[in-house]
Amino acid sequence: MLEVDALKFAYPGNDSPKMCFELEVPAGEILSLIGPSGSGKSTLLNLIAGFVEAESGQIRIAGQAVETMPAAKRPVTMVFQQHNLFPHLDLYTNIALGADASLRLNEAQRQQVIDAIERLGLVGLEQRKPGALSGGQRQRVALARAMVRAREVLLLDEAFAALGPALRAELIELVAELVRERGIVALMVSHQPKDALIASPRTAFVHDGQVTVLQATQQLLQSPEQAEVREYLGSL
Amino acid sequence: MNPDARTAYPVLILLALLLAAPLLGLLNLGSMPGFEAEDLGFWHSAYIRRVLWFSLWQALLSTVLSVVPAIWVARALARQPNFPLRGLLLRLFGLPLVVPSVVAVMGVVSVYGSDGWIPLGRSLYGLNGILLAHVFFNLPLAVRLLLPVWQSIPRQHWQIGEQLGFGPRADWRWLEWPALREALPGVMLLIFMLCLTSFAVVLTLGGGPRSTTVEVAIYQSLRFDFDPVRAVILALLQLALCALVAVIAMRFQRLPEVEITLSADAPATGVAPQIGSMLIILLSAVFVGAPLLALLLDAIGGPVAEVLSNPVIWQAALHTLMIGLCATLLAVLFAWMLLQTSSDLANRGHTGKARLIETCASLIYVIPPLVIGTGYFVLLAGRVDVFDWVFAIVIGVNALMGLPFVIRTLGPAMRQHRMRYRYLCQNLALQGWNRFRWIDWPLLRKPVGLSAALVVALTMGDLGVIALFGTPQTATLPLLIYQQLGAYLISQATVTAMVLLGMCLLFFWLSERVIGGCDHA
Repeated sequence: MLEVDALKFAYPGNDSPKMCFELEVPAGEILSLIGPSGSGKSTLLNLIAGFVEAESGQIRIAGQAVETMPAAKRPVTMVFQQHNLFPHLDLYTNIALGADASLRLNEAQRQQVIDAIERLGLVGLEQRKPGALSGGQRQRVALARAMVRAREVLLLDEAFAALGPALRAELIELVAELVRERGIVALMVSHQPKDALIASPRTAFVHDGQVTVLQATQQLLQSPEQAEVREYLGSL
Repeated sequence: MNPDARTAYPVLILLALLLAAPLLGLLNLGSMPGFEAEDLGFWHSAYIRRVLWFSLWQALLSTVLSVVPAIWVARALARQPNFPLRGLLLRLFGLPLVVPSVVAVMGVVSVYGSDGWIPLGRSLYGLNGILLAHVFFNLPLAVRLLLPVWQSIPRQHWQIGEQLGFGPRADWRWLEWPALREALPGVMLLIFMLCLTSFAVVLTLGGGPRSTTVEVAIYQSLRFDFDPVRAVILALLQLALCALVAVIAMRFQRLPEVEITLSADAPATGVAPQIGSMLIILLSAVFVGAPLLALLLDAIGGPVAEVLSNPVIWQAALHTLMIGLCATLLAVLFAWMLLQTSSDLANRGHTGKARLIETCASLIYVIPPLVIGTGYFVLLAGRVDVFDWVFAIVIGVNALMGLPFVIRTLGPAMRQHRMRYRYLCQNLALQGWNRFRWIDWPLLRKPVGLSAALVVALTMGDLGVIALFGTPQTATLPLLIYQQLGAYLISQATVTAMVLLGMCLLFFWLSERVIGGCDHA
């Protein structure tokens, strides 16, 4: 369960809008976030991850308040659109960093890494450096590391934006499986509204630093009532 | 919860202490023995007036003579992207950055001196020689600083020019000069400052009553005339001059990065201008290459065995190496610590604070080595034996000299690196030693290696504060060469110069290889 309560934030400078987020996602759900660029989708993820500090408000994960914790301590893991992997480390090491930052893995952790590699179909590529992987493979490695990290909240910040439609659908299905299986929460920011239809029962529309609409994905995308949603979607 | 690195702050405090001590020493002028109020009317001293005038005049001439030809060389290089030896040539132009100034001076003398290949006048000692040596150093530097200007002109602009039927003249007027005008003041002020504070060149080629700069006059007052009061007055004067130039320079901060990329978008020109460009390039290459070649030939024919069998040279080599390695280590360490913080600040949008931190690393340009040296000299004199402190002071000052180079070489890489992996490292709880070992060091060791290579060559070849504090027992190779020249042991000095140059190049190469490591795929 992820609860975001009156979370306020503004970037320095006068003309940036005051943001205030309100959100509740039960365990086992993958929630999509859509909205125009600059509306605050990524900022919301960065606030939850602890990369930027909120002015006020609460973030609770599984009932525990996390808003004062440093990013490294929060039960959150994030997959970015790019630069998820360290180019000088091979695939195995990149994933193993998720288990232990000093790379001293015990037997159980090593097994977790191997399991994740198998689960994401990366067997045989362990020694490869990121430069020798395809874009899809790189994001699989990032997901494998997120899997090893086993945090309560998984944040996907346009994680699959650079991939083709078929590959995107495949990886989103994979994430949905993980989310259900482990009973965690996933927030998925995407520029492609159609991505939300793949695995998200509900979708949030972010506008001017607020979640203005939160409803069933089908309804939101196919018969939106709000003017700003219609304007954003255009003639879909 | 602010996760910015805070490593810069202890370094800033240390820098403040290191620089405040000598400044206090200088400002204590009033209570120095032998000080009289009339001494403050230094403007009435014909000697100081002459020294001041000569400093400014030679710096101005050196700047103009370096930058104006450099514009044409840079233009020729930019517009001949397919020139066969372009890469080699750019490396040759990087060489003066690594060649110690005493060594270069000797090379210049052996080409243009009265016994040289192309004798220019009766004697090189005086203004002519100083100008030649300054141009030898600063023309290539100016070329390297100005070359990116041509690369900053978008390809589309050249294409529009082509459509509009621009000739070389119109290219220059509408494309090249507007871009150049932005960069020129910064480059000229930097070179003016370098020539104003130039020490070794003026010490070896000038120094007579008619060709002494403030920087050298400080040294002469302390070491020969035993007149610390005059030395302090001159040091304060030099400080004021440098501060003035620095304040002017701050208004022109658009100094391009010293970075050579071999892709140039400027289209090749017609046949006639091409021949002209080739000539300009070849001439400049001969100008830079000839002194080093001449010196090498002189050294091979010199008393090699005699010089090398003298233990004095090996002792000096050891001192040189120790000073070079310690100063480089400190410069790289301090720069790394400063840059971690300034990068984080810049990446969060606090560019002003970031720039302030990086400016503090370049304070050595405002407070030149001899001024710091004089400050420590008068501060320590009478309390301890100043000559016991020679290595500590020389290492400290040389580290400060290296700092701006590391900041410029490592800075852009560090900033991009910390921007790219900032959130990821926080997310993965990669902090402290783990982060350094697994992420920062492997990804940044290449620029660290390059900057360490520059600094090690620079500090090993430096003849500055060591001249102030050095004794025959604590001499470094540059000081030994100066002593040999002073004793008219020219052929010995030539061989020693080759040993020094060899060491500089060897440790440049070693630092780049060992620290930089091999490429990561």
